[in-house]
Amino acid sequence: MAQKRIELPQGTLDLLILRTLALEPQHGWAISERIQQISSDVLLIQQGSLYPALHRLERRGWIKAKWGTSENNRRAKYYELTKTGRKQLELEQDSWKKLAAAVAQILETA
Amino acid sequence: MFSDLLFRLRSLFRRGTVESEADAELRFHFDQQVTKLMKSGLTREEAKRRARLAFGGHEQLKEEIRDARGVNLIETLFQDIRYGLRVLARTPVISCVAILSLALGIGANTAIFSLIDTVMLRMLPVERPEELTEVRMSEPRSPDAEPQPTFTNPLWEALRDRQDFYSGIFAWSLTQFDLSQGGAVHDVDGMFASGDYFSTLGVRPAAGRLITPADDKRGCPGTAVLSYGFWQDHFGGAESAVGSTLSLDNHIFNIIGVSAPGFFGLEVGNKFDVAIPVCAAQIFDGPKTRLDHRSWWWLHVAGRSKPGVTADELKARLGVVSPQIFLDALPQDWEQKNQQDFLKRSFLPTPARTGTSYLRRQFTQPLHILMGVVGLVLLIACANIASLMLARASARHKEIAVRKALGASRARLIRQLLTECVLLSTAGALLGVFFARWGSALLVRYISTGDNKVFLDLSFDWRVLTFTAAAAVFTGILFGVLPAFRSTRVSLTSAMKGPLAVDAESRAKFRPGKWIVASQVALSLVLLVASGLFLRSLVKLVTMDVGFDRNNVLIVRANLHNAKVPLEQQPAMFDEMERRLRTLPGVVSASRSIMTPVSNYVWNNSLDVDEPNAPTGDAALAFFNFVSPAYLGTVRTPLLAGRGFNDGDTKTAPRVAVVNEILARKFFPNGDALGKYFRVHPEPGKPALPIQIVGLAKDAKYESLREEAHPTAYFPIAQVPEDAEEQVFELRTAARPSVLVTAVQEAVAGVSKEVPLDFTTLARQVDDSLVEERLLATLSTFFGGLALVLAMIGLYGALSYLVAQRQREFGIRMALGAPRDSILRLVMRDVILVLAGGVTAGVCLSLAAVGLLQKMLFGLAARDTVTLLACIGVLSVVAFFAGYVPARRAMRTDPMVALRYE
Repeated sequence: MAQKRIELPQGTLDLLILRTLALEPQHGWAISERIQQISSDVLLIQQGSLYPALHRLERRGWIKAKWGTSENNRRAKYYELTKTGRKQLELEQDSWKKLAAAVAQILETA
Repeated sequence: MFSDLLFRLRSLFRRGTVESEADAELRFHFDQQVTKLMKSGLTREEAKRRARLAFGGHEQLKEEIRDARGVNLIETLFQDIRYGLRVLARTPVISCVAILSLALGIGANTAIFSLIDTVMLRMLPVERPEELTEVRMSEPRSPDAEPQPTFTNPLWEALRDRQDFYSGIFAWSLTQFDLSQGGAVHDVDGMFASGDYFSTLGVRPAAGRLITPADDKRGCPGTAVLSYGFWQDHFGGAESAVGSTLSLDNHIFNIIGVSAPGFFGLEVGNKFDVAIPVCAAQIFDGPKTRLDHRSWWWLHVAGRSKPGVTADELKARLGVVSPQIFLDALPQDWEQKNQQDFLKRSFLPTPARTGTSYLRRQFTQPLHILMGVVGLVLLIACANIASLMLARASARHKEIAVRKALGASRARLIRQLLTECVLLSTAGALLGVFFARWGSALLVRYISTGDNKVFLDLSFDWRVLTFTAAAAVFTGILFGVLPAFRSTRVSLTSAMKGPLAVDAESRAKFRPGKWIVASQVALSLVLLVASGLFLRSLVKLVTMDVGFDRNNVLIVRANLHNAKVPLEQQPAMFDEMERRLRTLPGVVSASRSIMTPVSNYVWNNSLDVDEPNAPTGDAALAFFNFVSPAYLGTVRTPLLAGRGFNDGDTKTAPRVAVVNEILARKFFPNGDALGKYFRVHPEPGKPALPIQIVGLAKDAKYESLREEAHPTAYFPIAQVPEDAEEQVFELRTAARPSVLVTAVQEAVAGVSKEVPLDFTTLARQVDDSLVEERLLATLSTFFGGLALVLAMIGLYGALSYLVAQRQREFGIRMALGAPRDSILRLVMRDVILVLAGGVTAGVCLSLAAVGLLQKMLFGLAARDTVTLLACIGVLSVVAFFAGYVPARRAMRTDPMVALRYE
């Protein structure tokens, strides 16, 4: 927990959620855990932004929710990617990669 | 977009589920977090504490989720509405006054607009009305005049047979049919319709069949089609009506069918009850039928052009066929010069998608003026509510300060206040629609006269409802915006400082209230001036000397043609009837004539005199009446010189005339008309007999009250040159004319039982000619009064509020020794300032606006000083009292009470 955490740029949370859900349906806590793990604890998702984001994505129809049973046998709300969500993910991934590459290029050459 | 809405609505209506789901979801997350922390070795308590810290506010998070789901926007709207209703219910009197004045304002606007809509804007209820064009006729002699809408039957038949660019073309003519067979007339609205009338318009039968080209052939038997309404009213909608018969002007017609419901014809403002083929005119006319008459203008023509024929093409092709058609239908008996003009005429198409209407010509201007009037009334009502809202908002100062302190944004507060206003205006509009339905029906009854029952389909269409909805929203925002913005500009510090600071601030805040009241004063002055002008015009028209005495004169129209009396027996029969009527008890004097004053009928022709510089052409036109000897005495048009007619003026006696002063002056400027001769412009081939002037009568109105009296010549009724099968009896009665109706019927039945009689009174006839003037005067006075009342309520309310606000100040002033009347002066100074400002603006507005009214006025200029001063006087007096009452209350302030306050 000693590493410095990085603030997420605007709009990237959606992309991260979509990417995480691309593997398998997950509930909210698992999503935040996974993002934290994979980013080696660099990215910590606050509940305060996670849940509004999930509901916003659900309203847009990119993910859908259903109730299931968790690993420790409790009722939990699972989110999964919809078809439009998958398309959106590809789109956002592409543009993110382009952006990242462009930023990296500028940082290296300039 | 749609799924988004569904999602929001689901979130809204299944709010309970969504709430508890969010709860469960968040709790699950929380528990997982706690478990995880406990696994890392923390105690349960410590784990919970850490988790809660990371979690933040549970409720706040739920709120954010609600926002993310888009629930809040709709939910707060409902919240606002609920809260708004509670607020409005808390001040029921103010709310009711506001809703009622809005309902009056919006209702009046909707009523007038629905009339404008039905008369001018609405499409005809027929198939594809946009394809219809009416055929009119250009008049080369007066190219600026509106093209003539009526045609002779020979012209119509030639056009029908010579064109190939209409997919359907038809003619029609509205008239009255008398259903009675003798006795009191029972008129219904009749229509001549050519064979293709119904099929071209796409009207279907509701029963039986409609008129077809096969029914419309020369020499046709009498067939009739009923309108749906008439079928319902007169036959109770019975199937057996088809196949039965109907007596029209004493001729039997077979009913062949009923037209579809909702179809009233092509002339907005009129309907038909019974339609018969054009050829059936011969049944009424006999051998000298109007079907062959080349200068009897009675048919309207319209058609649907073939697909692909554009408007320009249609015009061009009508122009091409015109010369031959006009040559075919040339009136042989016209003078050569007139014939040449006739041949230069040509057909013109005009759009007919909204039908045709005499109402449009007659009422376009009055309706537009009234629209302006009711628009102003609505503005004044809005201003009233705005100042009410402003006052109430100031009273809610604390509430707003508290809400703001608790974190409500200004936008949120404005939204709340505007919601309340739109609630008010919506309630006003709903109530207003009811007022409007009732009001527009009343208006239609008001513009209907004895001779002319106006029929309008007043069902509200989308245009009217859109108008009302727009009016509601517009007014709501209009009276809501200013108070909402003003009252949410609360400084929290001054609200904390206590009432005194608030007082000082709200006084400054009340300045817009004065502006509102001043503008109300200005607008109501404009309305008062308009109503004053209309009222004075009407009074001038009604009280002016018209040259006859309209009171207590019963008018009885008798038609011997319909009674099938042979021509040669008619004069004796009319004489006998007049003799019998004269002896009826209660009749002061009785006479008969061809015309009565201001009756919509005109008989005129040019006169020739043997004088130097005698008038020629249209200037030589004189207006005629043929009267029995007692006529001038009965209508009380004074004979100024010479003699009246007597029984010696028979058909074979020398031709004589009584003329009025204008005629005498115009044709005989030397003042020696009496004894001179004139000739009436003869029909070709007939001799022009010299007519001697034997009497001079006072000028009397002939056609309308607005006219300069026409040059008029009276002739003995025995010397009438044409067959006059319909004549009119005038009975001057000792008591109310209407009580004589039965006695007259019995007396005429003593001569013949077959004669249909039509009753009216001279007074009624004159009144009917003033429909527009009376409509404008009555309605503008009503609305002017309403505006005045509204403005005074506004003034009173605003001042009462101001006085209540300054009560403590007045108390202190008095406690410090200010005399009571100085307080009165203090308040009245405000009243006078507001009044002076309002009146000045109102005078400027009036002077700028009244020019529009000039055409509708009679006998006075639009910028009439007397009217203006009188209106200013009325307004000032009323406003002074409206202001004086609260000012007195201020004066009576008890310093002790005022200071003890709080």
